Amino acid sequence: MSDAVDDTDMTDTATDDPVDATADASTDEGAGEELPPHRAAPRSGRLDSDARQGTPYTESQVIMPTVKVVAPFAFTFGLFITFHGSGSPGGGFQGGAIMAAVVFMIAFAFGIESTRDWLANTVVVALAVGGALAFAGIGLVPVALGGAFLQYDLLPIPILDPVKYGMEGVEVIGIAPIVAGVLMGLFFLLANGFATENGGFGNGSLDEDGSLDEDGSLDGESADAGGDR
Amino acid sequence: MTGALSLAGGSAAAVPASAGPLSAAPVVAQVTAIEASLLAFVVLTALATAFARDVLAAVIVFGAYSLGMAALYTFYRAPDVALTEAAISAGVTTVLLLLTLAKTTRIDHEAAFESVNLPAAGAAGFLFAGLLLTMGDIPAIGSPDAPVWSNPDVTQWYLAETYAQTHVENTVMAVLAAFRGFDTFGEAVVVFAGGIAALLVLHREVFA
Amino acid sequence: MSVVDAALVAGYTVGDFLLLAAAGFTVLAIGMLYRAVKGPTMQDRVLAVNVLGTNTVVILAILSAALSEPTFLDIALVYALLNFLMAIAISKFTVERGGVL
Repeated sequence: MSDAVDDTDMTDTATDDPVDATADASTDEGAGEELPPHRAAPRSGRLDSDARQGTPYTESQVIMPTVKVVAPFAFTFGLFITFHGSGSPGGGFQGGAIMAAVVFMIAFAFGIESTRDWLANTVVVALAVGGALAFAGIGLVPVALGGAFLQYDLLPIPILDPVKYGMEGVEVIGIAPIVAGVLMGLFFLLANGFATENGGFGNGSLDEDGSLDEDGSLDGESADAGGDR
Repeated sequence: MTGALSLAGGSAAAVPASAGPLSAAPVVAQVTAIEASLLAFVVLTALATAFARDVLAAVIVFGAYSLGMAALYTFYRAPDVALTEAAISAGVTTVLLLLTLAKTTRIDHEAAFESVNLPAAGAAGFLFAGLLLTMGDIPAIGSPDAPVWSNPDVTQWYLAETYAQTHVENTVMAVLAAFRGFDTFGEAVVVFAGGIAALLVLHREVFA
Repeated sequence: MSVVDAALVAGYTVGDFLLLAAAGFTVLAIGMLYRAVKGPTMQDRVLAVNVLGTNTVVILAILSAALSEPTFLDIALVYALLNFLMAIAISKFTVERGGVL
């Protein structure tokens, strides 16, 4: 969306803008409900035009470029905290939380809904479930080989040190994805809020079900009453 | 923990936290100036969080509380805890609380602070005084005689054996992922189950 | 021996003075806390908590130098990053009380 707006921005400032500004200034008294002279014409695409002022604050001109610059570095730093946990403070939990915080940052800059579309539910669920399965898998491989749960020295890792890289594996592909996935999931979940009758359980193919009608009305009630449940 | 981090940081040998002369300012009951000011900051923010009438103000002051706690953990040479406090409390908790507030209704208050419920305050003060009575038996902060540090079977054993057995330098991570790996697996499953529980409570089927 | 362990005045080392400076910054943070708690408007509180975060980054960096633990700078970096997140989150929340989130 922002790309299209930027394109019109370029062309408009090149061609239409001086005309619009003078026209606004001259016809300002005639048209009472027109914009004040310092505001651009509604469809000009300039920053102070109605089209862009009308869009919500998610398109902040300060936050968006800053986040564009900061987010890659912050994500890399989260990866560093995760991967370097064996030699410095940190680990999978902290690194996963920082990577989730980068997603929060992007969501605050570009709007939660568009971030939700960009980061599909599959990704969030795959991170959380895949992390849990990877952790359990790394723990269960030594059990299959006749050892104890998470007995790293039995891990079949060639050349490399199995103890060190087994622990790194637990931190990097186990804990960090679980934490990052669950925190992102909580973020999007809380941004959606409590499911009322037009969302959540009553939303899918189960809509035909008679019993769910009652459930939906119950949901509405409890949402009105506040967080009693 | 100190031992692990001095290994990682390449600084002096593993010594208890109290061995260095940390008292820059006049020492009052063996609390240095930085400790005293940080503790005062933490207590003040905690009280302000508890008494703030407006929920948004409480959330904001709670963010400030986590700033003080992270600095305090850092001073006590617990950088892993400080990092967790920074990542979770400042970043994630504040954002999640704000999102929750955005979905609830606002109640306007005239008063800035909660009024104090005297019986509850009396009960809490009584409990607090009782807990204070036990303070005399707790070893001083960073004391080399503290059982948690001088125990040759637990702390010293981990500090001595971590690198030999797990080949990583950070003792905290070694304890988490190797020595107590099964507990950590349980924690990870708890985090996962927390996400599922949030889905159930909010009556949703998908996260995003 | 590093610079931090060099004795300056009356047996106090550079590290001790760095800790004293950190204590001074913490006292300043307590002063800023007044604005965060009292602050008539939410914008005051947002600014106050942002200043507090920057202050904490400075305190953490000084602690890292005074304790001769360079890895502690990671915590300061995390705080600098998350303080920005906290600031934009709260400041966007104050507009229409989360209506534009």
